[in-house]
Amino acid sequence: MKGMTTVQDSSKISPFLVLYLIVSTQVGVGVLGFQKYIVEGMGYDAWMAIILAGLIVHLYIYMIYSIMRKADMDIIELNHVLFGKWIGNLINLVFILYLLILSLTVLRTYIEVVQVWMFRNLNTWIIAFFILLLVLFVIKGGFRSVVGICFLSVLLPSFLILTLYFPLQFAHFGNLLPIGDFTMKELVISTRNMVLSYLGFELLFFFYPFIKNGEKSQKWAHLGNFVTVSIYLVIGIVSFAYFAEPYIKEAEWATLTLWKVVELPFLARFEYIGVTTWLFIILPILCLWLWAASRGVKHMIPKLKQKRILYIMVAVILVSSGLFQTREEISFLNTLSSRVGFYFLGFYIPLLYIIMLVKKEVRKS
Amino acid sequence: MLKKRGKGSNNKINILPGLEKLKESADFIHYKNDGNPGFYVNYFKSLIDVDILHRDILRYVSKSTTKKLSELKNELPIEVVMETSDVEFITDKIFRGFVFVQLENDLSNGLLIRAEKHSVRDVTIPEVEYSVIGPKESFVESYEVNLNLIRSRLPDSQLRLKQYKIGSLSRSKVGLLYMDGLTNQENVETVNQRLEDIDIDMLNDISNIAELISDSQLSPFPQLLDTERPDRTCAALAEGKVVILMDRSPHVLLGPTSLIEFFSSFEDYYIHWILASMFRLIRLVAVILSIVATPIYVAVLTYHHEVLPQDLIGTLVTSRRNVPFPPILEAIILELTIELLREAGARLPTKIGQTIGIVGGIVIGTAAVQAGLTSNILLIIVALSALGSFTTPIYNIGNTIRLIRFPLLIFGSLFGLLGVVICVVFILAHLIQLTSLGRPYMEPIYPFRFGDFRDAIVRLTLRERNTRPVYLRTQKPIRFPEPEKDNKSTDIYE
Repeated sequence: MKGMTTVQDSSKISPFLVLYLIVSTQVGVGVLGFQKYIVEGMGYDAWMAIILAGLIVHLYIYMIYSIMRKADMDIIELNHVLFGKWIGNLINLVFILYLLILSLTVLRTYIEVVQVWMFRNLNTWIIAFFILLLVLFVIKGGFRSVVGICFLSVLLPSFLILTLYFPLQFAHFGNLLPIGDFTMKELVISTRNMVLSYLGFELLFFFYPFIKNGEKSQKWAHLGNFVTVSIYLVIGIVSFAYFAEPYIKEAEWATLTLWKVVELPFLARFEYIGVTTWLFIILPILCLWLWAASRGVKHMIPKLKQKRILYIMVAVILVSSGLFQTREEISFLNTLSSRVGFYFLGFYIPLLYIIMLVKKEVRKS
Repeated sequence: MLKKRGKGSNNKINILPGLEKLKESADFIHYKNDGNPGFYVNYFKSLIDVDILHRDILRYVSKSTTKKLSELKNELPIEVVMETSDVEFITDKIFRGFVFVQLENDLSNGLLIRAEKHSVRDVTIPEVEYSVIGPKESFVESYEVNLNLIRSRLPDSQLRLKQYKIGSLSRSKVGLLYMDGLTNQENVETVNQRLEDIDIDMLNDISNIAELISDSQLSPFPQLLDTERPDRTCAALAEGKVVILMDRSPHVLLGPTSLIEFFSSFEDYYIHWILASMFRLIRLVAVILSIVATPIYVAVLTYHHEVLPQDLIGTLVTSRRNVPFPPILEAIILELTIELLREAGARLPTKIGQTIGIVGGIVIGTAAVQAGLTSNILLIIVALSALGSFTTPIYNIGNTIRLIRFPLLIFGSLFGLLGVVICVVFILAHLIQLTSLGRPYMEPIYPFRFGDFRDAIVRLTLRERNTRPVYLRTQKPIRFPEPEKDNKSTDIYE
């Protein structure tokens, strides 16, 4: 048997596809309603937080690349090498749990959007079952198939950005003025909330060994993050210019509300199209995260088959997705995953970076 | 074979008993002709050309006085004459239209003389892939004629043919054509391997081979392109594809292929590139509409009538006012009716087929709407989707499109637009995973190859398409030198 982290050349992907991987994991259900959370701190100056948070994420991507370049192995093995068997495994377990909770959050939040905007009485389990079936089907095709879905999921729904033209007709850019009316504390709150919307890039830890010429893909990763920042920025500014500030503070899904203005001769209520197309956007996230999680477990316990692990994970997510029913419960799920993500970003990645800086050489155990 | 022949002549065994089995067939002719020397003649009446037998064989053999087969061989005016004593070989050749002649004095040896009868229909105009402009030849059921049609277009020493005999009963001649030094060796090897691995008794048509060697047997999508046009075949060979042909089949298979290729008519290359690109786009849109139009209708009318603007919903409600069924039932009834018409039309001779079209299309359609069984808007949608699925230049993919509409319909009626999208993503995920001879099927969309878009959704000018498609991984990626760009004068003529 070959080493666990050696990946065959034929299953590696071109460096430029990293752009799509990054964009498709970062843009998820967050886009539908991030405005409320960032306005919480800075008010209508929050567009600066979008940019600032984007820069922070650039920094994190830089750190991940320097870690991975030096380590030349994936994160599961790296944790073993750096922290020893027990602590390393514990960290891996937390990492995998974090991926699972995030997948569950994304799935449940999307289904909630569907239930609120399209089908009031839709059974969570039934729709989760079909979406997860799709996820299984994609992951069973291997990493290349997952990347293919990521690629298409950036390409196909990109027409949605054109719909911003309609609210622009009623936009008051005066809403954004005066600029600079915030305190440091408000800036920190907004930026923190915004960084959480960008989560997803940490999967680089998992798919880095799958990239042909991994080092060369760094510019694509940064470009991907840049694209994400631009998408958030455009949507953010348009919604600030369209909505009044008191409204946006209450709006659960401001982006979806923006679509209510879209008017076409053959189509009213564009949000129906928007919500259904959004399946394209959440699917790659679920696929990639569950792929990473199942692969992670497989590395920890090489005896198990990845397929089996995946089935178990999907079953767990399916069952638990139906347990969160009310808005408060789903909100709790969101808070939970963003907390975990926050600590993960704030402490783990910088810690790893510093350790790697200090260590001269990393050897495979 | 030579070894066996040598061995046979040493032992001096009489061959005639070996042919006893053949005599049980009524059309096997075996007789002795008295003369000096006397001779035996064996052949299948149904397989040989009687003219050749009488004019070129019997006349010379009966006149001849030689007692040596090798001398008799030289007296015959036919080129393919073999002296042999191997019973198995003789039996095989007799089945291939050879006459077996033995001299009375030497019953352990004999001459195999070729006199096969070709029952070949004339090369006619292509019916499945008809084009107004361009060559009007299409393949026929004869291997030799088909090879001739290809070779005469590609008189190049690089064109290689590997031959196989497949089927324990049919013993079909199967050929594998490729350009040596150009086609990817791995592709040739893949097909070679898969053809050799076929273990079957009877092959009736090349579509049997397509089914046997396709990458995925579960997929409804055809993974090898099946064509009846020699020009398309030669273009594919020159592009670096592999061609499989079979005796008794008027179609050949091209591979590896990609999904987009199934929507390109070969006539596209004979008309102006802007027109061709336009027609391709129309075809693609027609196909996409043909897949999703009815499911969207069902989804919208079942769950989301809010999506429709005020004016449109008025029209729809008026047309559906008297319809007693839910949209899904209405749609399935109509879709099945159209499928029924198509099946009935396909099984009948052309002239009656037209009548069916009129009866079905006009009479049933109008009557169904007037009786209030369906709405006329749905009738329009269903008829248009049927039309859309017929615009595909390759017949096989049209069938696939007709099929995949049904799961979409059912999911559309279960989960509305969300169900339609789930189904579409499922199909896309399947297409991403699909391969044709190990090469990605969705190319150039995924893996994304910008260069290959020059001949995919649109077709650019011939001069700009100077590279071979990347996914074929040819040994010579450049077709011809890039045209020189005229950088000198970008200004207005003076």
